[in-house]
Amino acid sequence: MTNHVVYPPMPKPDSVTEFFWKGVDQHELLIQRCLSCGRYQHPPKEICAGCLSTELAPERVTGDATLVTWTEPVKAYDPYFATHQPYIFATVNLVEQEPLRFATNLIDCDGDDLRIGQPLRVAFREVAPGCTLPLFEVVR
Amino acid sequence: MTAMRNRVAIAGVGYSQTGRKLPFSDDQLVAQAVTAALADAGLKPADVDGISTTGGVSMSIGALLGILPLNWFFTSSLYGPSFAETAVMAMDAVAAGSCHTALAIRVIRQPRAEDHPIAAITAGSSADGPVRVAGQQQWTAPFGGSLPAAFIGGLQMQRYMSEFRATEQDFARHAAVQRDHASRNPEALFREALSADEYSQSRYVSKPVRLLDCDYPVDSASAVIFTTPERARDFRKPAILVDSWAMSAVADIDMALLDDFTSNAIGHCSETLWSRTDLRPSDVDCAGLYDGFSIITFQWLDGLGFCGRGEAPGFIAEGHTGPGGSLPTNTDGGACNVGRRHGANFCIESVRQLRGECGERQVPGAEVAVWSNATGSFAGASLLTIDR
Repeated sequence: MTNHVVYPPMPKPDSVTEFFWKGVDQHELLIQRCLSCGRYQHPPKEICAGCLSTELAPERVTGDATLVTWTEPVKAYDPYFATHQPYIFATVNLVEQEPLRFATNLIDCDGDDLRIGQPLRVAFREVAPGCTLPLFEVVR
Repeated sequence: MTAMRNRVAIAGVGYSQTGRKLPFSDDQLVAQAVTAALADAGLKPADVDGISTTGGVSMSIGALLGILPLNWFFTSSLYGPSFAETAVMAMDAVAAGSCHTALAIRVIRQPRAEDHPIAAITAGSSADGPVRVAGQQQWTAPFGGSLPAAFIGGLQMQRYMSEFRATEQDFARHAAVQRDHASRNPEALFREALSADEYSQSRYVSKPVRLLDCDYPVDSASAVIFTTPERARDFRKPAILVDSWAMSAVADIDMALLDDFTSNAIGHCSETLWSRTDLRPSDVDCAGLYDGFSIITFQWLDGLGFCGRGEAPGFIAEGHTGPGGSLPTNTDGGACNVGRRHGANFCIESVRQLRGECGERQVPGAEVAVWSNATGSFAGASLLTIDR
């Protein structure tokens, strides 16, 4: 008898987003940066929306961020999140640039204690066998 | 500055039957709504030469209802401010002369389990490995952010509450005021008085969003007939003039990644709208402000300048938005109470108020109305006046 593993939905990377998810597997947060104007961009695209350059490359960022907003989805239709209640879905801003938004989960914290601007740091967690995600924890 | 002014009019409005899991196809719902709008205007199908739709295919609707040939037609990609998109396209087409009489349609059904937005994500077995999600969803689905109540309603409401110190009581009060309006609307699906306590007892969907902050999913179609003012004056009902309209996009579709979670496209759209008219917020007699989630009505009250940014809770508490207030808002009860018409009800209720057709909930002497739709990445709004 095998244990039934419940997985979260996981990304299906394409040629433009592949570097990001490979970085996550290596516990590195890689964000696309324009080689021409220096602007960071997320989600990654083939063109820099700041200067229309097509010369873009992944750059490792610190993983430091601040909290922009958050919510606690209660009614989860997904079997993984239905069995991982409560959880916090959040938008954070990576400190390298304002704005540089990133959607994630906050871990090891209580939703009632959160505030806008709260310092956060990336934490790579294996959420299911072979599935690592970039989550964020509160800097205490 | 007022180049748009009164180049377009509204001649007729109509709804299909509306309710939960009705035994009607999209085609049947559209036919019901269009028939009602044509009867309201006193028009025949052959009087229409343009169709704009969000839901379905415009050309097919023309063929379905014998409205051919068409001089102009538009089908929404669904990545836009819903009914406002289809209405703005119709208004642009009439103003430009591409057609003379355009139907704007929104048909939307209560999601069935199999066509739920994340059904594709959850459909796969999770026993053999994770379901894989591509495109925009890869940035939210792995984190459980796929529900609109989370990535739209939850994120925006929490930010508004934190930034402006709004409280659950503010949203409870708003829900009670909307229900107060609904109690005066025979077509509303919820008409029983709602107390703040009942609001607070409704369950969270995505905290801080409660069930009573969400519009009510139903099967419905809505139709509005836009035409030239000259034609409208010959039709059955008093012409409603479109003073101005605006439509904005400020971000891609990823609403979890907005630069601004409180003003967003609503702020930009409001600014554009006021730049196209001589009317001012103080001229407006009643408002229909989208409430896919109740936070969105707060954002529109702020954005359109009826109060300062973040001041909607106080504005509502002072009674301005309720029956008899200075700006009765969502006098049909809003989509939380009349069901999800995806913006069309705000246009249709505004028309009915300006015509003086609203019975017990009529705003006395209403001459100017504003209606709006959507939030986040995109938004649309329009000012209407009665032809005097």
